Amino acid sequence: MKNNISRRQFMRAFGATAVAGTLAACAPPPAAPAGQPAAGTDKTSAAPAAGGDKVKLKWDTFRGPGTGWNEERIKTFVEKNPNVEIEFRPLTGASQQDNYGKMYAQFAAGDLGDVIAFDPSHFHFWRAINKNIIGPLDDLVAADKTDLKQWFDQFIGLQYFNGKLFGLPSWGWAGQDTMVINKVHLDEAGIAPPDAKAYTTSMDTYAEWARKLYKKGERYGLGTTYDEGHLVTLTRAFNGDLIDAEGKKCLLATDKNAQEALRWAYKLAVEEKVLPRPADVASMDAALLDGKLGIMWGGSLNMRNFKRDIAANKAKAKAEAAQGLLPIRKDGKPPSQIRGGTWNILKDSKHQAEAFQFIKHITSLEGAIGFNLVAGQGAFVRPDVLQELVKKDAVHDGFIPNLQNGIPAHAPSNSRGREYTDACVQWATKMMDPNENIPFEKGLQDLNDNIQKVLDMEPA
Amino acid sequence: MTRDSYRMTTMPIPTTPRRMSPAKRRENLYGYLFMLPWLLGFLGLFVGPGLYSLYLSFTKYDVLSKPEFIGLKNYVDMFTKDDLFWPSLLRTAYYAGVSVPLSVLGSMFLAILLNTKLRGITIYRTLFFMPSLVPLVASVVLFKVLLNSDFGLVNQGLRGLGVENPPGWFADSNWAVPSLIMMRLWGSLGGTQMIIFLAGLQGIPTEMYDAAAIDGASSWQKTRYVTIPLLTPTIFFNTVLGVIGALQTFAAAFIATEGGPGFATWFFALHIWKQAFDYFNMGYAAALAWFFAILIVVLTLIQMRLSRRLVFYYGE
Repeated sequence: MKNNISRRQFMRAFGATAVAGTLAACAPPPAAPAGQPAAGTDKTSAAPAAGGDKVKLKWDTFRGPGTGWNEERIKTFVEKNPNVEIEFRPLTGASQQDNYGKMYAQFAAGDLGDVIAFDPSHFHFWRAINKNIIGPLDDLVAADKTDLKQWFDQFIGLQYFNGKLFGLPSWGWAGQDTMVINKVHLDEAGIAPPDAKAYTTSMDTYAEWARKLYKKGERYGLGTTYDEGHLVTLTRAFNGDLIDAEGKKCLLATDKNAQEALRWAYKLAVEEKVLPRPADVASMDAALLDGKLGIMWGGSLNMRNFKRDIAANKAKAKAEAAQGLLPIRKDGKPPSQIRGGTWNILKDSKHQAEAFQFIKHITSLEGAIGFNLVAGQGAFVRPDVLQELVKKDAVHDGFIPNLQNGIPAHAPSNSRGREYTDACVQWATKMMDPNENIPFEKGLQDLNDNIQKVLDMEPA
Repeated sequence: MTRDSYRMTTMPIPTTPRRMSPAKRRENLYGYLFMLPWLLGFLGLFVGPGLYSLYLSFTKYDVLSKPEFIGLKNYVDMFTKDDLFWPSLLRTAYYAGVSVPLSVLGSMFLAILLNTKLRGITIYRTLFFMPSLVPLVASVVLFKVLLNSDFGLVNQGLRGLGVENPPGWFADSNWAVPSLIMMRLWGSLGGTQMIIFLAGLQGIPTEMYDAAAIDGASSWQKTRYVTIPLLTPTIFFNTVLGVIGALQTFAAAFIATEGGPGFATWFFALHIWKQAFDYFNMGYAAALAWFFAILIVVLTLIQMRLSRRLVFYYGE
């Protein structure tokens, strides 16, 4: 009997096995039926697991790894809840957005942690809800009698979808609502710095300062980018908006105020060429520290960081921080875009009650302060946190009104947030590129049409 | 006599299967075992996912839901509905069309220069090779500083020379791709391609030059009629690899400009990446990737066909 294996037979058998194995491994596991909690789910009880076994939670996050904050939160939680063990699994994608792909893949493979975050301002919140990844917390809140007033209304508001609460706030700020100013440059130009808490400086005045502070080949007067966040606040500064609250219609073609806003920027960028060319400044914060920028259109977090960097002697040129707010709108609201993150619970987690107690722990006063001071994030989501931060640095006092009264972000209703942000930044950049010299009306129409095209896409 | 008829008339036809000796069997088994890690990797990480991605290209798939079979829709959509498909493909062709000839010719020129018997030539070779060792991210940071339209050293120099409105480089949609090409050339001219050319040059028999010298050939004539023809296999090799690499360009544009300004550096590979890992249109991205892979294979086959007429293999 022939008992040797030919090369061909070996390759054939091995190839078939390997390909079959690979295809089987690549196939997604069947998703749990929508709306049905997994077996063993206990939504209201925080009782220890049966038989005295410890409850094991998995915490997957890209927020905080390397700072010690996550470990501190786990340690202090476990001290109070000895029946719970928490495995911290840091996500370390090259960018924040990279980590969402990883989390989706983990979910498809049935290995996503119990405690996770699909941030509204990264546009993944709604997709995570629609795809049954994260579940509502209303029953848990009711059972626990959690006081939702401990967070600013604006940031709790971000956690709702179709009337249900899906998360507790993690990071948050009022978007691009601040002009971060190097006061030294204003002094040189003989301009009195604005009152840090007054909404009295007009957009025309800021434009005038941009012209005055600009020195060809040496310094930009005003630096802004054309990402979605800046575009929204720009249009809101002129009493308009970029898209409607439902996230279905781009307003640039019809809203005269939004058009006026774009014209303001177009004049400075294309006609007068006093703004940095798009993509010319890799980091506005660094340019401000280098003395190559007089004013940066940023947010409260940038303001805090600028002050911090000056104090740490990181400024390469003489620098002194000053803050300017955008002029108040006709509806009494400060031009802003409430941006924020979240902490969610896996819909099929078997340990809903423990996971809820843990997200309460990490979003508590101590948790949020730690998030600000240790992890270096902007968790301005709780009034008591702001009071604590004001004690350390009075600059935080100026952030409070916008956190209380800011305008929420509007997201595409079809969960196409990433396509939306790309359409905004690429088409606005094209429009504002002085080298392209695109007529204003055409640039505006292209920007409007391409944003609308994204809003009209089928849901993600 | 054809090769087949030769085989039939000269090779003995075994009448009964020969039993393999235990030693031979053991040797075969070891051979298979040594092949196994590579085979596992090749099949598990390349063939398997490749076949699966081919299947996905006929589906609508977002990672979170089961793939839904939609036939050729993805392939039809890329040609008819995707506004960025043709621009990104043409942009990639432009990048490859300019950067590959410059990089191949530049490397060859450098290699010819560095193939001379000059004192301290190894130091020159090392110096020219060094830019290729600089990590891509560091190159991007360096070039973004150098090419800053207002404060960059290059534009300051150009202004000093009287150029009133120097290019905006990365910030200028018309100059962003040329800026990336410049960056690629800086990193690649003295790199691996040059080393391969040097190896090719050193493989040219010296008697060819001696014969040319006896015939009274000048340096230029030696280069034209000896060096370049005998270097054509190396030129061909570097061109094929260069075209494949340039068509796949992604990282530099992703890091330097993220596809901007205004889509100016939105290359095809970046388009695939965006569709797959940012928008989670995995099925559509798989279709784009398969289209692109086939395009690269076709281009490579065309080059191979052209090589029959243009490449000279010494000794054949």
